[in-house]
Amino acid sequence: MNRFALVFRLPIIVWQGLFFLGPLFFMIAMSFFLVKNYRMEEAFELKNWARMLTRGYVWDSYWYTLGMAGSATVVATLVAFPAAFALAFRVSAAVRRWVIFLLIIPFFTSYLVRTFSWYVILAESGVINTGLGTVGFGPYTMLNTPFGTVVGYLTLTLPLVVILQTVALANIDRNLVQAARNLGCSPPRTLVSVIVPLAKTGLIIAALFCFILSFGDFVAPYYLGGSKPPTLPILIIDTTKSGQQWPRAAVVAVMMMLTLFAIAATAIWLAYRRRSAS
Amino acid sequence: MKDPLVVLSSVVKRFGTFTAVHRLDLEIAQGEFIAIMGPSGCGKTTTLRMIAGLETPSEGEVRISGRLMNDVPVHERDTPMVWQSLALFPFLNARENVEFGLRMRGVDTVERRRRAMEWLERLEIGAFAERSVDTLSGGQRQRVALARSLVTEPRILLLDEPLSALDAHLVIRMQGVLTRLQRELGITFVHVTHSQSEALAMADRIVIMSEGRVVQIGRPREIYRTPGSRFVAEFVGRNNILSGVSRGDAIETALGTFPAAGLPAPGRPATLVIAADLVEISQAPRDGAIPCSLISEEFVGATVTLFLEAADGTELKVQVPERALGELNQQAGSRYHLSWPADAGHALTET
Repeated sequence: MNRFALVFRLPIIVWQGLFFLGPLFFMIAMSFFLVKNYRMEEAFELKNWARMLTRGYVWDSYWYTLGMAGSATVVATLVAFPAAFALAFRVSAAVRRWVIFLLIIPFFTSYLVRTFSWYVILAESGVINTGLGTVGFGPYTMLNTPFGTVVGYLTLTLPLVVILQTVALANIDRNLVQAARNLGCSPPRTLVSVIVPLAKTGLIIAALFCFILSFGDFVAPYYLGGSKPPTLPILIIDTTKSGQQWPRAAVVAVMMMLTLFAIAATAIWLAYRRRSAS
Repeated sequence: MKDPLVVLSSVVKRFGTFTAVHRLDLEIAQGEFIAIMGPSGCGKTTTLRMIAGLETPSEGEVRISGRLMNDVPVHERDTPMVWQSLALFPFLNARENVEFGLRMRGVDTVERRRRAMEWLERLEIGAFAERSVDTLSGGQRQRVALARSLVTEPRILLLDEPLSALDAHLVIRMQGVLTRLQRELGITFVHVTHSQSEALAMADRIVIMSEGRVVQIGRPREIYRTPGSRFVAEFVGRNNILSGVSRGDAIETALGTFPAAGLPAPGRPATLVIAADLVEISQAPRDGAIPCSLISEEFVGATVTLFLEAADGTELKVQVPERALGELNQQAGSRYHLSWPADAGHALTET
């Protein structure tokens, strides 16, 4: 590597070192620290780990978060697919560009603002319940429920999933789709036997993004899910607030990172695996 | 034609305001090897795709075995196609690609595998059955694509310039494979190509298309020796095309008057076509020979094409065997004399 290459790379190396690797190692180290009289002391003890890993409420929260993020991923994938399919195969390239532009617009406003706007729609006296009330149904409780959490997760992730799926589907070689039809494959079967396998990598990456964003999200489960039960990000906030337990919060954070690492590695392995198990 | 398999009658295909195929009439016999040939954009691929059902005719009828196919969806026709890009499924191995059509027809796993292997063996790529198609060579991929199309035992095979991406020596080998298969199976092959050597080498009949219309249909020798129009004369082979006026049994051109048969009434404009390989060239002046000077030559191996210019600027072409070149001692600007036998000229009624 010549001197200039190093100079050009230096900013990103320094940035990553200072603001990603440094804090990461500090957080891992901190999970072994102790808190005495509301003050954190440097130490190397397994007490935090032992405590957090043996508490039922931690594991309840862990499985709940995993389940909610997983549900959001399944729902987002299924809801996004018809839209992405239509954008990739049924509309012109010009329409596709416009719709992708429109799908980016939600990211212009704060996610928090978009989350609060759901209050108007989901509340006991909100748009949906008022509408259902006029035909004799409800009211249904939608705020402060797991349903509310999933709605929030989808607000965050759905536009992104649609965009990623659309790109994956639009890049499929149309000749392969026509070749399948030509060999006697009906349209619904072409979807399952040819289009999904061809778009597999992009579809899995889209789902992975949805999972990662949902798993680490604090806003949706807190404001729309009512933090009951708390998800892991809420648990981290609660733990830091109660008795300055930063080391215990660090344990939860490391648990989350390891989980995401394992899931991302599996997803990428699945996404890029060449041969299907047929 | 007795027992035609495919009949296209008055077929028109429009894409928006562009008409790709104009009122096409074509009958393809059972067991025939037909080549559809023409320059890019002549409508040959659109015609093929209408037989496969990948395009719906805007007007007219497509019939296969007498059945009207216009509204039969692609997957319900038995018209497999070998694609220019081959369109092998990258997520399946060679054998699974071949099995695809059988799987769609609900053939059980054991039978499916047996028939796929049979075809892979037949095309001499049995050893590569479990290989990913990405790791196969161009020729091997070609064979997988052929096996995939033929494994369902169709009555017709559509070929959309599948040889165009192959190296020259592989093209010749695949031509051999295709011709042999077509003879053995006795099924109809419809081969779209822009390569005249492919069409001339393999087809029973050649359909020449230009701007969405059929301009000539005939056996390869007919097309090659007796082009029906100036377009075909220019497109197929290497021809000298001279415009002139009919004198009844001869045509008067800027280079002289030459005898020819089949000319229009005296005084009408006419065109004379002389194939470059029928022209005789010598350094010594001969009676009635046209003096020319050499401009350039095109060396393609066994035959060499010489481009010459007559005194009035008319360009003439001569094809000579490479081994006969030695005596000519050709150099740019050298003077030669050209002539052709009286029966070499072929008259066109159009100009």
